Amino acid sequence: MTAGRGARWVLLALLAARALCAQDFVFNNGPEPQSLDPARTSGVPETRISDALFEGLVVNDARTGAPVPGLAERWTISPDLKTYTFTLRATTWSDGTPLTAQDVVDAWLRVLEPRTGAPYAYLLGDSIQGASAFSHGRGPAADVAIRALDPRTFRVTFVGPLPYALAMLTHNAFMVTPSFAVRRYGPGWTRPGHFVGNGPYVLKAWKPQNKVVVVKNPRYWDARDIHLASITFLAIEDQNVAYDKYLAHEIDYATEDAIPTARIDEIRLRPDYHHVPGSTVYYFLFNVTRKPFDDVRVRKALAMAIDRQELVDGVLKAGEVATAGFVPTMGGFHTTRGNAFDLDQARRLLAQAGYPGGRGFPPCTVVYNTSARHRTICEWLQQTWRRGLGIDVQLQNLEWNTFLDTKQKTHAFQLARASWLADYPDPSNYLDLFRTGAGNNDGRYSNPAFDRLMARAETLAPGPVRDRTLEQAETLLVDQDQALIPLFFYVNKFLLDDRRWGGIYANTIDIHHPRWWFAR
Amino acid sequence: MTPMEALPVPAAPDPLPPPVSPAAVAWRRLRGHRMALASLVLLALYALLCLGAPLLPLHPYAEQVLAHENLPPSFQPAGITLLATREAELRQLLAAEQRPASPRERTQLAGLARAVASDPVHRRIYLLGTDALGRDLLSRLLYGGRISILIGLLGTVTAMLLGVALGSIAGYAGGLLDTVIMRGVDILFGLPYLLVVIILMALFGRSVFNLFFAVALLSWLTLCRVVRGQVIGLRHAEFVTAARAMGASPARIVFRHLTPNTLGVIVVFATLMVPEFIMAESFLSFLGLGVSAPLASWGSLVADGAAVMELYPWQLLGPAVAMTGFLFAMNFLGDGLRDALDPQSRRGGVHGR
Amino acid sequence: MKRGPKSPMLRFLLRRGLSLAATLFLVITLAFLLIRLAPGGPFASEKQLPPEILASIQRRYHLDESVPRQYLRFLGDLAHGDLGPSYRYQDFSVDELIRDALPPSMTIGALALLLALVGGVSLGTLAALRQNSWLDYTAMALAVVGISVPLFVLGPLFKLGFALRHPWLPTSGWIDDRRGWLTLILPVATLTLPYLAGIARLTRASVLEVLRSDYVRAARAKGLSEPVVVLRHVLRGALLPVLSYLGPACAGILTGTVVVETIFAVPGLGRLSVQAAINRDYTLIMGDVIVFAVLLVLMNFLVDLGYGFLDPRIGHGADAP
Repeated sequence: MTAGRGARWVLLALLAARALCAQDFVFNNGPEPQSLDPARTSGVPETRISDALFEGLVVNDARTGAPVPGLAERWTISPDLKTYTFTLRATTWSDGTPLTAQDVVDAWLRVLEPRTGAPYAYLLGDSIQGASAFSHGRGPAADVAIRALDPRTFRVTFVGPLPYALAMLTHNAFMVTPSFAVRRYGPGWTRPGHFVGNGPYVLKAWKPQNKVVVVKNPRYWDARDIHLASITFLAIEDQNVAYDKYLAHEIDYATEDAIPTARIDEIRLRPDYHHVPGSTVYYFLFNVTRKPFDDVRVRKALAMAIDRQELVDGVLKAGEVATAGFVPTMGGFHTTRGNAFDLDQARRLLAQAGYPGGRGFPPCTVVYNTSARHRTICEWLQQTWRRGLGIDVQLQNLEWNTFLDTKQKTHAFQLARASWLADYPDPSNYLDLFRTGAGNNDGRYSNPAFDRLMARAETLAPGPVRDRTLEQAETLLVDQDQALIPLFFYVNKFLLDDRRWGGIYANTIDIHHPRWWFAR
Repeated sequence: MTPMEALPVPAAPDPLPPPVSPAAVAWRRLRGHRMALASLVLLALYALLCLGAPLLPLHPYAEQVLAHENLPPSFQPAGITLLATREAELRQLLAAEQRPASPRERTQLAGLARAVASDPVHRRIYLLGTDALGRDLLSRLLYGGRISILIGLLGTVTAMLLGVALGSIAGYAGGLLDTVIMRGVDILFGLPYLLVVIILMALFGRSVFNLFFAVALLSWLTLCRVVRGQVIGLRHAEFVTAARAMGASPARIVFRHLTPNTLGVIVVFATLMVPEFIMAESFLSFLGLGVSAPLASWGSLVADGAAVMELYPWQLLGPAVAMTGFLFAMNFLGDGLRDALDPQSRRGGVHGR
Repeated sequence: MKRGPKSPMLRFLLRRGLSLAATLFLVITLAFLLIRLAPGGPFASEKQLPPEILASIQRRYHLDESVPRQYLRFLGDLAHGDLGPSYRYQDFSVDELIRDALPPSMTIGALALLLALVGGVSLGTLAALRQNSWLDYTAMALAVVGISVPLFVLGPLFKLGFALRHPWLPTSGWIDDRRGWLTLILPVATLTLPYLAGIARLTRASVLEVLRSDYVRAARAKGLSEPVVVLRHVLRGALLPVLSYLGPACAGILTGTVVVETIFAVPGLGRLSVQAAINRDYTLIMGDVIVFAVLLVLMNFLVDLGYGFLDPRIGHGADAP
């Protein structure tokens, strides 16, 4: 047998073996998860695994991403839109213990408890009545407005008529975790021997840096509808290595973590390539307290000198959507127009600010975290500004932790690369970043008018008035003050052979719940 | 004639050849080593091209022409290559989708042809192709070579100075000083290299200078050990005793007498360290800790090229061949130098054998 | 003078052992202080933790204490063999993580070293014995290529040739995957090549020198057969430089595993330590430092012993290089 024929037999044998285990799904999940406890994690790789192992009151629909019933069968909302009463299904944990409304209460209290150190405690603390005091250690647990009215009824009262309440409840901070297991086993409760869950799958094996293997949970309330025998989450950080595995049919599904941007030219021509514009925004943040960016004219000049369409068409080429606005259009809210590409105006503004033709422009550095993609974008920006405005900016790539430290702690930057992935689909989640004194307000932006608008929006019911208020706030932030330079919205992309697998659809929030996955 | 008279008369003995300095001996022996000579020539060529890069008629290494991204190497003007590539891509797409070209695609191609004819930028020639931002790879290679060679040379010099000085001192002084220095060497060996580099970069900023300093930091250690070993071996040699008897200070003994005698080993080590430095720099580039954009080094070019090896092989081939060739040459030169300078080696030699 | 152990070997071992222990202690201390100098910390994230949460987490891990107190606590735990929990991978202890990561790295490293040694010495000796033949030239050319091409080019090239273009071998992973032991081949081959090349060149040069020496000529004159001459006399002397190369070679292999593990997605210690450094996972970093230092120290010790075995002229006194 020649080498070619031999290889073909090997490939056939491999595919046959794969077909026999057609119910076993393997894919790359990105970096090794920090923890399997949804209360203590905040990253996307961790969320993907949590989605398989646990369930909350509601889950994301496969196609639209909208909240649909999960552990809760149905719910009623009070007339003032603040109180939700959920009726839970009659189901059990994976070890047979009945799942009750008290489990929901315990799980949410555990997230709020300061001792747990949950990164998303504020999601509950800021939205549920009485929760904020408790999460800061200043009030009793009994004051938190969550109740188990009976073993199958759970009630929560929010601080206001939150339009995004249900969507927020799909977040893994709200997942129902087994507090009894946490009490019994301590930090080791997430390990295969002790693990207890209520999701479509249950933990079978966990080899650090290698893989997490989950198998179908026969006690899941909808076990009939779960069609995969097992899912394996690989922990490969390098996109090229993961993509090679996809090419060799060693993994079945390539997420962002397996699509190297340098090879996008060949990838986007593949028939198994799926993409849809997403809602994560990529932008550059000004430190508005440092020269020369304390002058709004300079900020606007830099923003208006950028031809975003050229960036998206010529450099990125994966279908990203150029934007001069910060918050994506959603519901009744529309993205602001922002300050579009206008080179003449940009030059005029720069001259007005005292740097005609770029002369005398003080030294300026753009910091970004190490990545080939960020470097390419920054290099393109550097050239754009040199050609268009005659100014020379330096580029500095920092290793991840150093980058975070510079951006968040010391604020020792003039321009920093940034991106924002919303925790829940509402414009306020984006705009809250820029409130005076906000935790993630790394650019030190402060505008009392903006703060007033945001405070007012908090009290408004969902509807046109609220939308307009938020739009006004965004216009202030971007069009008027140019506190940042938005560049584009990410495109949510993945590779999947639709002839073999189903249940994964391109949606704007890029959440693909393993609950819906199946083999054809 | 008596039998004795028949014996041939021995000629007068040859006068002794004039004394030659060790350097001249070494040079003569090196000349006989063909591979080393060829390497020397090659290295000179590298030095000329890279160091003289600003004088050469190259495209600016940081200038991006997005229209020209990812073009293959060619002797023809970029415009022609561009048109050919786009046409080939279109043909592939049409063949895969089994359809004729749409009017829009046709107009696009026609528009491109017009632009190529009119815009002077399309008359450029990219001998080694372009990268993802349309930058000329040849000029990036040469400018990158400056950085890599600079890092290699400066790093080696630093490492040599440190390693030779400390190794000689440790070897000659012995006792507590020796213990302290060697303990320090052992400790530095044991530290997590990556973390130390990260810390250095963070504390002192990202610049080429700091990069080679970071690489130099750990490279002097082996040299130090080796020099120390040599010095210990020579410590009790007669010329040292003589020098001491004449009242030479320890410093003088170390640096004037001992060090030159270990020169052979040092020089050989140096030529082998330059490649190590370049590899270390490329390892750091692979991890994202190398030179800052838009600068390039051979290491960063190779790391980027390896990622798109299948799609655009020239982006890896050019830098990889350049780097490998340089390392090749340095290795062979090191071989030749070792043979030339090592007095115990039997290759060549003053009287030949 | 105190009467210590009589045997010089034992005295040497004891003295060396103490010195190595002292070095280890100093490395650990220095590393402990150094990692706290790096900017950022174990709990930095893109969406910042609220300050009270951060404070609570730091309290839990005693990071709010002064550095000297943390150091003493660390030493105390270390004395009990407790390396602590990982700050980043919160469900695992450092001990567990290292125990899982050590076998893959050791397997690949040891195999690579063994193959490089055996292959390199054989190739180098053969090349030297058949000097200037085609075998010699090819071998040496290959050797130079081996040392001049970086691992992160070699790896993807091997992957391209043997796993992607032709599905003979898996592209990456570890032996607990479906294709088992085949997964080992590419990473080991990649790591072996540069060191095989280096050892081959070294051996060749060294054997060539020894072949001309007096005692070899004497052995030949005695009428011993060629293989006996080579194996018993030539190699013994020629292997000394190879032995001294083993020290740096081991260090190189330790660093090389980082690249190889990343390219072939091997769940080993190299990858783990890089992630630990990037994540500022202090406890995991300390665990890695200890493991690496112990390994290095062990290697150096074995090399020293090897010196003594191969060349009895080298004493075991303080003068040993």
